[in-house]
Amino acid sequence: MLRAARQQDQTVITKRAWNVVVFSVGGKKLAARTEDVGGVGPWIDPVPVPSRTPFVGAMLKREKEVMPVYDLATRLSREPEGDQLLCLVARHVDGPMAICIDGVIPSLHNVDIAQIAPSKRLDLETLGSFTDEGQEIDIVALQRLGRSRQDNLRS
Amino acid sequence: MSLRGHHKVTTAVVQTARLLVVRFGRQWCAVPSQGVRGVLTPQEAGRAGRVTFVGVTYDDVDLAGRLGAALDVSNPDMRVVLYSNGQTHGAVRVEEVIGMIEVERTECRPLPSHFQQEERIWISGTTIYRDQLVLILSPDWVLGELGEIVGYHALSSS
Repeated sequence: MLRAARQQDQTVITKRAWNVVVFSVGGKKLAARTEDVGGVGPWIDPVPVPSRTPFVGAMLKREKEVMPVYDLATRLSREPEGDQLLCLVARHVDGPMAICIDGVIPSLHNVDIAQIAPSKRLDLETLGSFTDEGQEIDIVALQRLGRSRQDNLRS
Repeated sequence: MSLRGHHKVTTAVVQTARLLVVRFGRQWCAVPSQGVRGVLTPQEAGRAGRVTFVGVTYDDVDLAGRLGAALDVSNPDMRVVLYSNGQTHGAVRVEEVIGMIEVERTECRPLPSHFQQEERIWISGTTIYRDQLVLILSPDWVLGELGEIVGYHALSSS
């Protein structure tokens, strides 16, 4: 009984903070939960694919893995910045998905759950937002990125 | 049923797919090879879009435009692929014919499920050839039989 209670306490403690990766797209800082990120590497020029799915119009090949590209920059009406752009691999529910991000190495942050507020923006799938150095940073829900947009289009 | 009327049917499972691989800029595409009726040089095909070859007229098909690729007409490797599905005949100008390949069915993958609209009908799947990602196109889409034609750039950002 005591042991179970202690385990429960530990679970509560571990859930009090989120580990997030902070990255930027077109100078706009965004974050994602570390477990939603499959990795970060150099950006590879993707192959365009004729498509009607919003913001999914290319694929790229990294070694033996082929994955679709999600054009987050265009969705945010921005252009990725930097000479050497980076590729963030999102662990999307439909499988890995590549996102072009700015050429600034992402950083890891530990955010107390109390600091996370519901996001005000409705144009992007988010898990909430937090403030860092006076800047509001949205936590992008990488797992379901593009889902609400497609649901809206279908309805 | 009498034994005399009984036919023994053997179903052969086709384990490989034969494809013609072509290139438009950085895009490598493939179509099933059974629809290929000929490959001509631009000189043989002539300047006009429509091509008549062995008594059959092939209408001009702007596949490069549909793929959102700019066709480099000055490329000496440019070819005109004559393609038919039996009903529709199309002449497709490509930047280069890479070649006829045979791939194992297991090496052909469906389009990732992130692609959720008509492109799933346009593109049968993908494969890898010479370390390049190859889009396997539907013959009906190539020949313009699957509805309106809209360029890639107009689509992906909509």
